[in-house]
Amino acid sequence: MRMDKTQRGWALASLAILVVSTVSYVSYSLTSPQGPRGGGTIGLIFGVFGFTFMIFAALLGARKRVPTWRVGRAQAWMRGHLWLGFLALPLILFHGGFHFGGTLTRVLMWLLIITVFSGVFGAVLQHYVPRVMTTEVPLETIYDEIGHVRSLLREEADCAVESVCGSFGLAKLSNAEVQRAGGFTALRTMAASAVPLRTSAAVSAGASAAVAAAPEIILLSEEESAPLRRFYLEEIRPFLEHPDRRGQRLSDAQKASSAFAGLRTLLPSAAHTTLDDLEDICDEARQLQRQARLHHWLHGWLLLHIPLSLALILLGAIHAVMALRF
Amino acid sequence: MTTAATPPGFVDITLDGQLVRVPAGTSVFDAARMNGVNIPTLCHLQSQTPVGVCRLCVVDTGARVLSASCVRPVEPGMKVVTDSEKVLSARKTLLELMMSDHPSPCARQQNSGDCELETLAKAAGASQPRFAKRTIARGKDDSSLAIAVDHDACILCDRCIRGCDEVKNNFVLGRMGKGYSAGIAFDLNSPMGDSTCISCGECMVSCPTGALTNKSVVGTAIAAGPDAQGFEAEDLLQISVFKGVSGTFLELNRGAIVKRRFRKGDIICREGEFGSTAFYILEGKAKVSISTPIAHVKTQGGAKGLFKRLTSTLVPREEDKREEETRDRTIPIDASVDLSYGNPVAELGPGDLFGEMTCMNFYPRSATVIAESDVVAFEMLRNVLDIMLKNKSFRAQLDQTYRRRALENHLRGVPMFADLSPDFIEHLKESVELQRFAPGQAIAQQGEPADSFYLVRIGFVKISENYPGGEMVLAYLSRGDYFGEIGLLGGGVRTATCTALDHVELVRISGDDFRQMIERFPSVRKGLEAVAAERHAANQQRMQMVQNVPIEQFLSQGLMEAQSLLILDLQNCTRCDACVNACADAHDGITRLVRDGLRFDQYLVATSCRQCRDPLCMVGCPVGSIRRRNSLEVIIEDWCIGCGLCAQNCPYGNINLHPFEVMIEDPARAGRKKAAIKQKATSCDLCTHLKEPSCVYACPHDAAHRVDPKTFFAEMLGQGIAK
Repeated sequence: MRMDKTQRGWALASLAILVVSTVSYVSYSLTSPQGPRGGGTIGLIFGVFGFTFMIFAALLGARKRVPTWRVGRAQAWMRGHLWLGFLALPLILFHGGFHFGGTLTRVLMWLLIITVFSGVFGAVLQHYVPRVMTTEVPLETIYDEIGHVRSLLREEADCAVESVCGSFGLAKLSNAEVQRAGGFTALRTMAASAVPLRTSAAVSAGASAAVAAAPEIILLSEEESAPLRRFYLEEIRPFLEHPDRRGQRLSDAQKASSAFAGLRTLLPSAAHTTLDDLEDICDEARQLQRQARLHHWLHGWLLLHIPLSLALILLGAIHAVMALRF
Repeated sequence: MTTAATPPGFVDITLDGQLVRVPAGTSVFDAARMNGVNIPTLCHLQSQTPVGVCRLCVVDTGARVLSASCVRPVEPGMKVVTDSEKVLSARKTLLELMMSDHPSPCARQQNSGDCELETLAKAAGASQPRFAKRTIARGKDDSSLAIAVDHDACILCDRCIRGCDEVKNNFVLGRMGKGYSAGIAFDLNSPMGDSTCISCGECMVSCPTGALTNKSVVGTAIAAGPDAQGFEAEDLLQISVFKGVSGTFLELNRGAIVKRRFRKGDIICREGEFGSTAFYILEGKAKVSISTPIAHVKTQGGAKGLFKRLTSTLVPREEDKREEETRDRTIPIDASVDLSYGNPVAELGPGDLFGEMTCMNFYPRSATVIAESDVVAFEMLRNVLDIMLKNKSFRAQLDQTYRRRALENHLRGVPMFADLSPDFIEHLKESVELQRFAPGQAIAQQGEPADSFYLVRIGFVKISENYPGGEMVLAYLSRGDYFGEIGLLGGGVRTATCTALDHVELVRISGDDFRQMIERFPSVRKGLEAVAAERHAANQQRMQMVQNVPIEQFLSQGLMEAQSLLILDLQNCTRCDACVNACADAHDGITRLVRDGLRFDQYLVATSCRQCRDPLCMVGCPVGSIRRRNSLEVIIEDWCIGCGLCAQNCPYGNINLHPFEVMIEDPARAGRKKAAIKQKATSCDLCTHLKEPSCVYACPHDAAHRVDPKTFFAEMLGQGIAK
């Protein structure tokens, strides 16, 4: 969620709660002869509020499970989660008088700190990463589709290179299936012929969704195609198969661009269209790799945040029951 | 030399050293053949006038140059040598020249190995010519249903032209171009399928190479069925509806038509199935019906109670009237009858043709047909149906059946025509003209004088308007729809262009009849004027919208026409898919949105119905149940049969199929019902049963918004944010 001026209301309310709590805690700690204690009335009040905020924050997960229930917009729940969850930390610190106490409370304190800071880290990531992804990955596709799109890109590249170099035994696609891989965001020019969306005539003829006009096939001689053949087998194909492998020239946009520029000088102009196409394919593969990486950043922190939150709520409840009962 | 013994009218010549006697006026070619000497030729056929263009039949007659034997008449005392070194060398050179201009192996050689040119070239050792191959292709023409044309394989022998003109007197084929670009042409160089060619097949059987080949329809799937009874051409020609059809054509297409026998209760075809054949009933009766529930999908619950589960159910229009839902009393199907909305069952009998749209345009079957008694029917593929539809007697019979059985329903189906008196309907039934249009053919052009009112009988008509910078599709009209009233009622000028999208048949009511009708029936005039005014206002509004938002990208993405767009602010969106999950949760697990689509600036226009400029989803609906409201929103009528063609056609994946368990009549056991899964097409309903679309309500990151694009983006564009 982006932290912008739309958060001002929540920010001011949270600040007010923090100020009131701090003032209350300071006056309480100054007037309390034995110092601030969690078991005292004020301490208990801090504890109850802090735990309530934690529970509210944790309920966001439950809220997401019932998206159609009209129990408040998910956006309001998320804002509550962010701000109240963050406030839970000072309130619990006030509750404990900044003492970590025994084993259980010590564990709880550390859980709370880690949970809150992992949440803050997540909020920061969710503030910046979507913007980065939007800017740097214009050919973004649905995350779960990345693997499939990559395999389509590989097949497309095989077809493209075999159309000028002759068969390597790699291509599986027929010439009729030269649909550009990727989602609609990835729909773009292929081999100098625009990939049209369906036309009414195409639909009435039962044509496939996006069919490019068949590019003119110009088969190069073995000698002419040797540089492309070598580059494809040694660099492009491995990159398309394992884009995450380190040390590949094509992983870097600049290096890739100069590699293709160099190759262009070694090939006859008849092959340049295919080379442009291969460069586009590599660019899309690179973008998908970037998207996958950013996606991991966007959601990876939840692997820490969610289990810790659940443990915190569970242990917090045990602590509350034990403290109130005994 | 005519000897004393030579009878009058005969000539003696020497042929390869042998003295022979032949009738005077005989060509050298025929003289040789009569005496057992075979002279190779490509351009000459016994049934055609010799023209001597291939020059392959050259012989040495002792003259200065070799003579083409097919056009050289014998002369008394002529000495003819057919196989001298000089002759054979000339023939070989000619064959090499022709082979250098011939794609070897051509289609005919590949299919049956009897390309005459390649056979002769092989015999003469000229298969590998010394000359360079042609570099510029002359092209192929695949527009005919029955005959494939490969201009590259044509050797310009003119046998096809003479076959068409002299043998069949059709005069469709001729020559076009000069020199290297010369070739055969149909009419004024039209594609063969669009020409006046009747696919008699004479050109094809005349062609010595693979330039004109029949599209093989001998070993077809329909002929392979156990109950299929194939025919010889002679048998078919004995049947009245085949009178006038070319025997050659039927011979070449004998696998494309079979006679089938169905026993009482047999299912002839099922609704929603994809097929490629049409049926013509010869004997017996069949019941045509729609088994899908006549209802639309409605999602209910949730909003009233926290724990009340959202459910999608099927409700008929009597229980849930939607805005601008049609009140049609009939459901158009692919047969000579329409079905009633309340009781979608009808009867077909001898002389009825059904499955025409499936056969001609490959649309799904629109209804289920079950034999009510023992039924005998022809099942035919597209090429046979096409030729049958060109056959005047068959055509007249079909037209008569249509006028008798369905025309009144179609006319009455136009709401304004409901009040027409029976005598006027009778008058119209006799006076209307039934017209056919080929795919892509313009029916009326914007700006032309308006002289007719049209009712769509078969196929889809695209109605579009030109505006500065492009074309906007206003509607796709299918069976039962009508057009042309705005022009006739207004200034007498067509306000839109109407184009046949596939094989279209229209009922044309002339301008005179139309004027007579509106004068005699004021209620018709009133109704049509109201519709015309409504359509005209909607068109004006759209034009206004188009002119006010001249942003190229905005236009190209079709955003200006949308009433409501689901947009995702990609700078806020964490790609958590809460919107998709919410949509699925709100619609019984079937999501109606995909978090993918075209981008406009930082916004992703998610795949939720966009009310496109060109609503391709509407093309091909076999029962015409998907259409636009005047507001451009899509509505799916109750009689959707769930064939899925609209979902398949939507380029954005915005139409989904929602399965429901329903009880339907068991075709195997009359009177009993059985559980079945029936699908209904659905698109985003904006969660109208709830206060706010679920996707928007469930987005935790303030990224999903339902917006009016004209307001939302116009503001953005005004700020100069859009690039």
